[in-house]
Amino acid sequence: MSSNKKNFIGLAESLVDYGRTHGAAEIEVSITDGSEFTVNVRDQKVENLTEAGSKGMDIRVFVDGKAASASSSDFAEETLHRLIDNAVARAKLGGQDEYAGLPDLEKITADATSLKIFDPKILELLPEKKIAIAKQLEAIGMTDNRIKKSTGSLYGTYEFTQTLANSKGFSGSYNKTVVNCGVGFQCGEGENLFQDGWYEGAVNLDKLNTPEIIAAKAVNRVTRLIGARKVETQNGPVVTEPPMTAWLLGFLSECIGGVNIARKQSFLVDKLGGKIGSEQVTILDDGMLPRGRGSAPFDGEGVPSRRTPIIEKGVLKNYLLDTYYGRKLKLKSTGNASGVTNLYVAAGTNKPDDIIKSVDKGLLLTGTLGLGTVPTTGDISVGAFGMWIEKGQIAFPVAEITISGNLGELLKSVQMVGNDLDFHGRINGPTIKFAEMTIGGKAGDA
Amino acid sequence: MREIERRGFLKLTGTGVGAVIISSLFHDRLLAGTIPEPTRFFEEKFGISSEIMKKILDAALSRGGDFADLFFEYKQANSVVMEDDIIKESTENIILGVGIRVLNGEQTGYGYTSDLTLEKMKQAALTAGAIAASGSKTRTAGFKEIVPNKQVNVTERLLATLPLNDKIGLVKEAYAATLAHDTSIKKAVATLADELQYVMIANSEGLLVSDKRPQTRLSVRATAENNGVRDTGSSSAGGRIGMAFYETAGTTPKEVGVRAAQEALTLLSAVNPIPGDQPVVLGKDHSGVMVHEAVGHPLEADSNWRKLSIMWDKLGTMVASPLVTIYDDATIPYYRGSLNIDDEGTPTVNAMLIEKGKLVGYLHDRLSARIMKMKPNGHGRRHGFGNIPIPRMNNTILGRGDSDPEEIIKSVKKGFFADTYFGGEVEDTGKFTFSVNLGFMIEDGKLTRPVKNATLIGTNVQILKEVEMIGNDMGFFLGTCGKDGQSAHVTAGLPTIKIRQMTVGGRS
Repeated sequence: MSSNKKNFIGLAESLVDYGRTHGAAEIEVSITDGSEFTVNVRDQKVENLTEAGSKGMDIRVFVDGKAASASSSDFAEETLHRLIDNAVARAKLGGQDEYAGLPDLEKITADATSLKIFDPKILELLPEKKIAIAKQLEAIGMTDNRIKKSTGSLYGTYEFTQTLANSKGFSGSYNKTVVNCGVGFQCGEGENLFQDGWYEGAVNLDKLNTPEIIAAKAVNRVTRLIGARKVETQNGPVVTEPPMTAWLLGFLSECIGGVNIARKQSFLVDKLGGKIGSEQVTILDDGMLPRGRGSAPFDGEGVPSRRTPIIEKGVLKNYLLDTYYGRKLKLKSTGNASGVTNLYVAAGTNKPDDIIKSVDKGLLLTGTLGLGTVPTTGDISVGAFGMWIEKGQIAFPVAEITISGNLGELLKSVQMVGNDLDFHGRINGPTIKFAEMTIGGKAGDA
Repeated sequence: MREIERRGFLKLTGTGVGAVIISSLFHDRLLAGTIPEPTRFFEEKFGISSEIMKKILDAALSRGGDFADLFFEYKQANSVVMEDDIIKESTENIILGVGIRVLNGEQTGYGYTSDLTLEKMKQAALTAGAIAASGSKTRTAGFKEIVPNKQVNVTERLLATLPLNDKIGLVKEAYAATLAHDTSIKKAVATLADELQYVMIANSEGLLVSDKRPQTRLSVRATAENNGVRDTGSSSAGGRIGMAFYETAGTTPKEVGVRAAQEALTLLSAVNPIPGDQPVVLGKDHSGVMVHEAVGHPLEADSNWRKLSIMWDKLGTMVASPLVTIYDDATIPYYRGSLNIDDEGTPTVNAMLIEKGKLVGYLHDRLSARIMKMKPNGHGRRHGFGNIPIPRMNNTILGRGDSDPEEIIKSVKKGFFADTYFGGEVEDTGKFTFSVNLGFMIEDGKLTRPVKNATLIGTNVQILKEVEMIGNDMGFFLGTCGKDGQSAHVTAGLPTIKIRQMTVGGRS
């Protein structure tokens, strides 16, 4: 691994040199080299097994404030040189953009070891062990007699080396490991079928729940939907389980991204420093979180990762920015050239059970279906699954309903934040209670 | 990770990666000004001869297995973006690699590599072959090269072969038309993306076939603003076409820009829908998302041989109103979803799925056809060389009916008309949603107020039976379909149709 790492830094630096001597005022070369192992199991048999090494290179050049980029999975020198020559020629045909260019050189303080994003134990796992865990996940679930079918389980491991060099003198590299696993099931009768599952991703093996816990979560998520029905159209409180809080946060991440702010395609344009949420809402993007799925020493353009407050007690503190949108918005990069790092809603003090107990009549949202989120307005309208709450108790499952609302209004209407924050992927959050959304179903008393 | 469980249909918008190039490698290096023909491409450029392919297939099957295939891919993808009144960026992306697959009964072993050296390819082949431990030995047959007997691709003035300046002209025209349409349009982003993909497929049964596939899309996003209210509209046009497509009435850059601007403007005055069950009319131009989600995905054979799709046990039974006939035709010339051969080398056909309400077929790849003892029908597709082929849609169409579209709208006293969409999503259980970007209220048989933020939701087997009227018109929608982490270019076609009752979600 270490000899590879050296080679990639050498390759990246040599291409930067090539670019500088062939017309590029600035050039950046980013190389990803890794390997993948993925096994899919269904009905206790290995259905697919993929194992491969893969690599890719991204190149950006700037000439007189004009940008062009290229990428390749072909690392032949003549191909890469030609791509750089072409990029320089194309850049000259582009328009001058005062904000275009590489970031200023900053010192990188973290590495894969300090961030704990490289776990040799993931590399040491034998294929037989990964297959066995995938089989175990499914086998545990199938012992529940309400489960009719397995939609399959998976176990995947990845390791890669990320290398970046640019003409401002940046040169860096780090290794990272990832493990993903999960299982899904189907239950129900005739035309009234339900499916759900549970999947987790981590950069450290010991961050992953045990197969027993993952299988139990998957079983619970699907079996609780059996017999789900519609409710009448009405307005009411909505409680989001952690994966649904993460779903809303994923939508927020689009609305605070530099591209949508600069294009005025976000309801949060010009809201920096303003009160946009309830006191209880604090949201952070932390690229330095030890063992975080999205942690890394630097982002996709060599800007050091950092901990960025997004919303602090309801006040919008930062957008998620790369160098270009930082300059364009007269702000600074937040080290998010590769998107969110570890974005999360800070935990509150409420137990999830107490949150449910506080609802007289409303929805515990457990799943969504559809793409109806609009950053420009913050409007939300999607299909939903969940559990109906009556008098503080889970009453019955619901499906084929819709939920509608507006993210701006929802942030202000947060009434309770749970203490159940846990980290499974890049975006996480605890259980949250929102005062009101429109829940659409049968023609009713709307 | 949730994408693994679900399939989504994402409408294309102008936010895609940018794009374009000046001199493609085809000009400057390869074969001096001509575009190479696919049959010799991998041999001439990378030295992949029949002997080498046979060696790799033999290595793949060295531990047993009953079938192996190789998928070579070379793709050049370009884009150019105009925003803030300047050509903001252009890109050139090269994808090169081979995927090696071994089938052992219902099991698949897969390896891939970007290094087309015999050593690396053999290593990937042995990895793929590990799925088959000590099975009986399958021998690789001698290759018989086939040439596709149709041509769904335009071969002239492909965008990948044109100078960057021609493409910049096209993007500028679309950009200017968008902003000029109305003073309320404050922002436009125009993107032109084109690609040229070379594929070569060889398998242990002796099949050898190659193809060269262009794909182009011009897309525009427009943001309108009035009294502090902002909305975004989008539009796109493209297919397996050349430059002439953008010189043809209906798909000129100007028209693409104006359509995006019009949608943004209409949204400015849109209100929220009246939620609840009601009659729904789906407009022809973009509602193909309905046939894609509600019918196409549930009829992809992988979820049917696995008995997970709600449709797995319904072959030969009535699953829709007798008015409904649905087919997937990958052979339509120049359409975004069209193919001469699929990514397993199977020639494409027009595959009938539902005939007058009766389920008559599924969308197959080789594996599903073998397991279900049916004929492959050319729907085995892959995102790229790093992905296992799976059954996918191409151009999925609900056939024309005989109703006048005006009469369909007139027949509704109070209901909802869906015009454009963000996309849709469906589960194996048949539960789906369509996310409507722009719709209209229907009041007393007329389209009245524009509506935004509506979601349509249902279960396919129920909604298909509720189709009451089908128009004699037809429209298509360009899309990118995601499934199991793989994306595919598709279209879907639909006439104006009326659904007796459907759940409309939205804010009240």
